Amino acid sequence: MGSRASTLLREEEIEEIKKETGFSHSQITRLYSRFTSLDKGENGTLSREDFQRIPELAINPLGDRIINAFFPEGEDQVNFRGFMRTLAHFRPIEDNEKNKNASTNEPLNSRTNKLLFAFRLYDLDRDDKISRDELLQVLRMMVGVNISDEQLGSIADRTIQEADTNGDNSISFNEFIKVLEKVDVEQKMSIRFLH
Amino acid sequence: MPSGAGSHNPAGIGRSLPERGLLLLMVLVFLEGSVLPLGAASSPDIRHQENVDNHKAADPGHNFTKKAFPVLDLDYKHIQTPFEISLWVLLASLMKLGFHLIPRLSSIVPESCLLITVGLLVGGLIKLAGEQVPPVLDSRLFFLCLLPPIILDAGYFLPIRPFMENLGTILMFAVVGTLWNAFFIGGLLYAVCQIQPANPNPLHAMELLPCLLFGSIISAVDPVAVLAVFEEIHINELLHILVFGESLLNDAVTVVLYHLFEEFAGAGTVTVMDGVLGVISFLVVALGGVLVGAIYGILSAFTSRFTSHTRVIEPLFVFVYSYMAYLSAEMFHLSGIMALIACGAVMRPYVEANISHKSHTTIKYFLKMWSSVSETLIFIFLGVATVDGPHAWNWTFVTVTVILCLVARVIGVVGLTYVINQFRIVKLTTKDQFIIAYGGLRGAIAFSLGFLLDKNHFPMREMFLTAIITVVFFTVFVQGMTIKPLVELLAVKKKQEAKRSINEEIHTQFLDHLLTGIEDICGHYGHHHWKDKLNRFNKKYVKKCLIAGERSKEPQLIAFYHKMEMKQAIELVESGGGVKLPSAVPSTVSMQNIQPKKPPPAKPAERALPQLPKGREEEIRKILRSNLQRTRQRLRSYNRHTLVADPYEDGFGDLLLKKQRMIELEKKIKDMSNYLTVPAAPPDSPTMCRARLASDPQAYSMKQGSDGVPTIHVDLASPQSPDSVNLMDEFRQASQQQEKDEDQGLMMKPPSRPTGRRKPGETDADKDQQKLMRCLSDPGPSAEEDEDEDEPFLP
Repeated sequence: MGSRASTLLREEEIEEIKKETGFSHSQITRLYSRFTSLDKGENGTLSREDFQRIPELAINPLGDRIINAFFPEGEDQVNFRGFMRTLAHFRPIEDNEKNKNASTNEPLNSRTNKLLFAFRLYDLDRDDKISRDELLQVLRMMVGVNISDEQLGSIADRTIQEADTNGDNSISFNEFIKVLEKVDVEQKMSIRFLH
Repeated sequence: MPSGAGSHNPAGIGRSLPERGLLLLMVLVFLEGSVLPLGAASSPDIRHQENVDNHKAADPGHNFTKKAFPVLDLDYKHIQTPFEISLWVLLASLMKLGFHLIPRLSSIVPESCLLITVGLLVGGLIKLAGEQVPPVLDSRLFFLCLLPPIILDAGYFLPIRPFMENLGTILMFAVVGTLWNAFFIGGLLYAVCQIQPANPNPLHAMELLPCLLFGSIISAVDPVAVLAVFEEIHINELLHILVFGESLLNDAVTVVLYHLFEEFAGAGTVTVMDGVLGVISFLVVALGGVLVGAIYGILSAFTSRFTSHTRVIEPLFVFVYSYMAYLSAEMFHLSGIMALIACGAVMRPYVEANISHKSHTTIKYFLKMWSSVSETLIFIFLGVATVDGPHAWNWTFVTVTVILCLVARVIGVVGLTYVINQFRIVKLTTKDQFIIAYGGLRGAIAFSLGFLLDKNHFPMREMFLTAIITVVFFTVFVQGMTIKPLVELLAVKKKQEAKRSINEEIHTQFLDHLLTGIEDICGHYGHHHWKDKLNRFNKKYVKKCLIAGERSKEPQLIAFYHKMEMKQAIELVESGGGVKLPSAVPSTVSMQNIQPKKPPPAKPAERALPQLPKGREEEIRKILRSNLQRTRQRLRSYNRHTLVADPYEDGFGDLLLKKQRMIELEKKIKDMSNYLTVPAAPPDSPTMCRARLASDPQAYSMKQGSDGVPTIHVDLASPQSPDSVNLMDEFRQASQQQEKDEDQGLMMKPPSRPTGRRKPGETDADKDQQKLMRCLSDPGPSAEEDEDEDEPFLP
């Protein structure tokens, strides 16, 4: 597995991915072998079925949405670059990056981008607002079937009521950021990819 | 520990009358405490006792000197021990009150310092009075009585999430840090003792092992001191949990090292084998302690599943099981502290799902009370024991100890942080390191361990004790007093006071699922993966065993929302009632609360019908109707989530099941046209349970008859209409064995009918109400049947 992976992945590509995502060489190689192990069709791209074959993902309430997040708009296949680009959101923020001023190209794993990723998982229709229905859908997925709609509805209402500052009865991205300001997103949304 | 009331003092030292009275009281207690032991010695009672003895020993009737019958007698010996204990506790509590009369002082000096000072004063007074200072910091008393409440309080309310997230860091500090401290201090002390100049010095006699033992005693960070000081400075959660977690978990290391060195100090040498055994012993002590605690925790959770009928003793189970966990662990020389923490942390989620709200409050307040008193007593006793001695002051030893403690701590923290930061996502900054190092306070545990030393094996015992006390005083006074200004100076992040909002909860869970998914995609079995697995296991198997009834299926989010709404409702009520509830789903939800009672097994006409006087009946009916009218209007915006009553007992899933049952029962209702009795609700149904709201539990050993409570639902709205509660009681008492007809649930009609048939006139009036209700409720399958019904009942 390892040898095949390194031959299929060219050095230039690794460099490019490194620049774009900030992963280290070894991390990229390791993730590439994971990519290829998922890629049963061996055509260098992953389809939705490849993801769904992962058993734990099937029981994850947000499984489908996470899978969808990997695929760009309207496409059915994701290549290794896209795979890495999505995973880059979960890289831990390093100290030297923290002090970087908001340049035009914020690194993919900045706090804002992490939150944007999460926000997009709620906001399926991409209108930059989490509406009550979208919130209800997510709540329904997380709590299961035993709870009645009315109850979920009141929770959703309460949630929106707490977060909504401009009164449009939905949560915009800025309101989302504000609500999560106390949560340590840098820690919560980071995976320690082994070096 | 710091109470909030102290800050309301207007200006400086309180000069108002009640406060003067309080100060006077405290002085009196002081004097009493020191004088009474004096008085005891010369009590006339002793003579009396001798007389009686003589009387018994000698021939009866010969030596009997008749005295005047003692009308008033002083018999101090009889009550001496409990009296003195109470006096100490009273002193401790009054001290706590007293400090807050002087707010300026209590903001500069932490309470622990003040308490030690008080202890010094009391000890001094007693010594001045010539009495022997009671051996208050007796190790048995300390370890068996004073320490457990504090640890249980800490363990039960341990914030699990930050603790688990930082567990690796905490363990590193606790285990490796303490080991480092112990060996560094012990070793260097030995070296210092050896390099003394030529003049004869008792220090030369010191061997390595006693030094190491001393090092291990003094190296452990003390949870009591940390709690006392850190609680007042309100630093952020991460630092708090790091230092506090370390102080708890290093108990295992301390226990092992202490026993190891104590054993071998007699033998004189330690071999490699002993070292290996020590390591194994450490694992056994730590894991064994946790295991013992977890077992007792599970037992306690399991017991709480069955306490729904005897709510009053629920708190007792929590306390007793925890204490037994501590004692069992101590029996095997395992780490009692870890057992206690494990017990509290394991049982808490399940017990809280099972017990009533009042029991929860009781547990919380008892734990806080005991731990507060314990802590106060410990510090006072430290002061008293200091005065007591015995002391053997040795400048070199003591100063070197103090310096070494500080140095070892700093080096240890810096070194460990360097290693730990390789593995942490959120690194520890220099500021954090400083606070962690500075927060390494020593306390009473070190002193008690020193006290336990055997004089024969350790001739240097007194010197040890003196050194320990000095270190404790130094850390508590100097570090304790200066940490607050330092925190301000360094601008360390403070604790966030705001409560967790529903948004945070939802999004945190969302992120948990997200991260678990991403970890699975990467094939990386990290933190989230295992947490998720544990949660699933918990939900699938454990909760079913340990949580009673429907709440075992309640998702965490719902439970959280539930709690939050209840808190809000209580706050609204306390701030002055007359609430506007958030307009949520109307009575469809409320309808589900109506518990149509199952038909009783026949026997209709056998119950006596107490006859209410007509006038009273009319009155009751009027009151009920007017209240119910209000209830109905309120029901439109009534959201069962905001009810105070609900969370006392079963949860929402319960209500859903009831809804289904209700629909089934509608069909049966049709057949029950001429029932004379109201079917009794099963004693543990939500209706009955809710009925136990405010009144004593005794009233609810429900007999079949006393269920004339369609109006019980007024109770549900009771936060807004407290008078309806009284109405309930009044009504219930009035109609204990009464027969009603089979009006179910929300029967907008007082069932105080001797006859049991409906008067048609009233039927119509009520029918409108019911129709409205019906419209709002879920159209059940039997909706069309309702139209035919004469009987006003509710679908």
